[in-house]
Amino acid sequence: MKKLMTADELARDSRFKRVTMGDQFNDPRNRAQAPEASGSGSGSGGKQQRTRFLGSMKPEHPDTPDRARALMHGIFVGEIQALEGAGRTCWDFEVGKGTDEVPFEMKLDMARQCWDETRHCEISVKLSDWMGTEIGEFAESAFLFQAACNPDPILRLTGVNRGLEGLAIDVFNTMKEFGDITGDPVLEFCEDWMLADEVTHVKMGSDWLRRITADDPDRRERALEFQRVVDKLFSLGGGRGEEDDSAIRLARRFRELAGFTTEEIDEISDLAKEARKEMVERMAAAASSS
Amino acid sequence: MKVTVTPQEFHFVKFDAGTVEAVVSKLADEIGFPAGDPLTVDIDEKTPLGRVRIESLSPLALRIEGGALEDPTAPRTLSERLTADVLGRLLYRAHDRLSGGFDDAPDEADLDFLQNTAWDTACMGRLERLGYDVRLPRRLYIFRNRHGFTDVSDRVFARLWAADSLTWADIVAACAETAAAKQPA
Repeated sequence: MKKLMTADELARDSRFKRVTMGDQFNDPRNRAQAPEASGSGSGSGGKQQRTRFLGSMKPEHPDTPDRARALMHGIFVGEIQALEGAGRTCWDFEVGKGTDEVPFEMKLDMARQCWDETRHCEISVKLSDWMGTEIGEFAESAFLFQAACNPDPILRLTGVNRGLEGLAIDVFNTMKEFGDITGDPVLEFCEDWMLADEVTHVKMGSDWLRRITADDPDRRERALEFQRVVDKLFSLGGGRGEEDDSAIRLARRFRELAGFTTEEIDEISDLAKEARKEMVERMAAAASSS
Repeated sequence: MKVTVTPQEFHFVKFDAGTVEAVVSKLADEIGFPAGDPLTVDIDEKTPLGRVRIESLSPLALRIEGGALEDPTAPRTLSERLTADVLGRLLYRAHDRLSGGFDDAPDEADLDFLQNTAWDTACMGRLERLGYDVRLPRRLYIFRNRHGFTDVSDRVFARLWAADSLTWADIVAACAETAAAKQPA
């Protein structure tokens, strides 16, 4: 069986439609949206505009139930890719002490994660059904699996388990709070159970990063740098952060439970602010050049 | 109706004004608008957001953010299903307002979430009976979000969905019924 598979090789049936990050970044509407993204546009108020643009999950926005449905579909495809990523990590690397090898116990952790992700897929399918969403109703982005293609196992584990599973903590916590506010007992319950698993997955990433790189500070720094790239890229243009209008709130308490230090969480928060600023600048530059 | 879609040519998205016109013309006939009356559909193609509104009733004018008509699986591409979904709902609401039974309804901007969702439910139920694919489960979820995850809410949803004719008083009564069921015992 092939090792180090690419995202293009993932098996999907005809219900799934793939969208690339290129499609999203190169959308010509982005340059027209700079005022909305920065909140500086004319009209119904800058802050309100930016909140709409970032996709806030606050119940007082008319689009929020549909946003929750779209986000839940994104979670569903993310769970499939998380299963595929953890499965590939079990298969791609042999047991050993080399930089392209992993301890057997880490494979056991990845196997356990596969079990969890499988359960999350099933929960997500049923939860989507509860929310009136059909499989394939929204496009699938393969970004999670792409991060799981790094050929260095510890960079992969750090990017996926600390970066993207960390994002999952923030997303599940936001969805759980949304379920609580709207009185949706099914959503709140399901998200809470999946959130508990995500904390474990992130902690696995934190523990293995520290254990394997205990005597290799350079590799640890490379792994953390890869995580910073993942964290910034998937701050969703600043949509994930600690601002009042952030669509996805950074879940500090759960991240602490998952092994993040306060400084590390502060850094993710700062990266999100940077990502938002850069997105607005990129859009404004595109607007001025058009 | 005599439907005019603006713009006629799209540059930011891959929409076709003729397709939108055809969908809206068919809807307007089926819903029962007079054949010769003008209807303008103004689409803001520069935004991927999806807010829509009735700009005026006479002459009938609809203002649409382009994202509302976009296929969620294919960026910048028109979804005929969503075009019928979104514009059919607005046309039913406009038709209701012109029927006389909604003369005491607040302006569109002054409707609250409960009223909006209840009225939308009644519009979408009728649209489904015209043969359009309107995805009842999605509408039920949105309704429960606003009116509560209760048995009463589900019963009110079913009643509104099945209603072929209703008045503003029916919407107000539906909202009062679900609100009472949400009160703690």
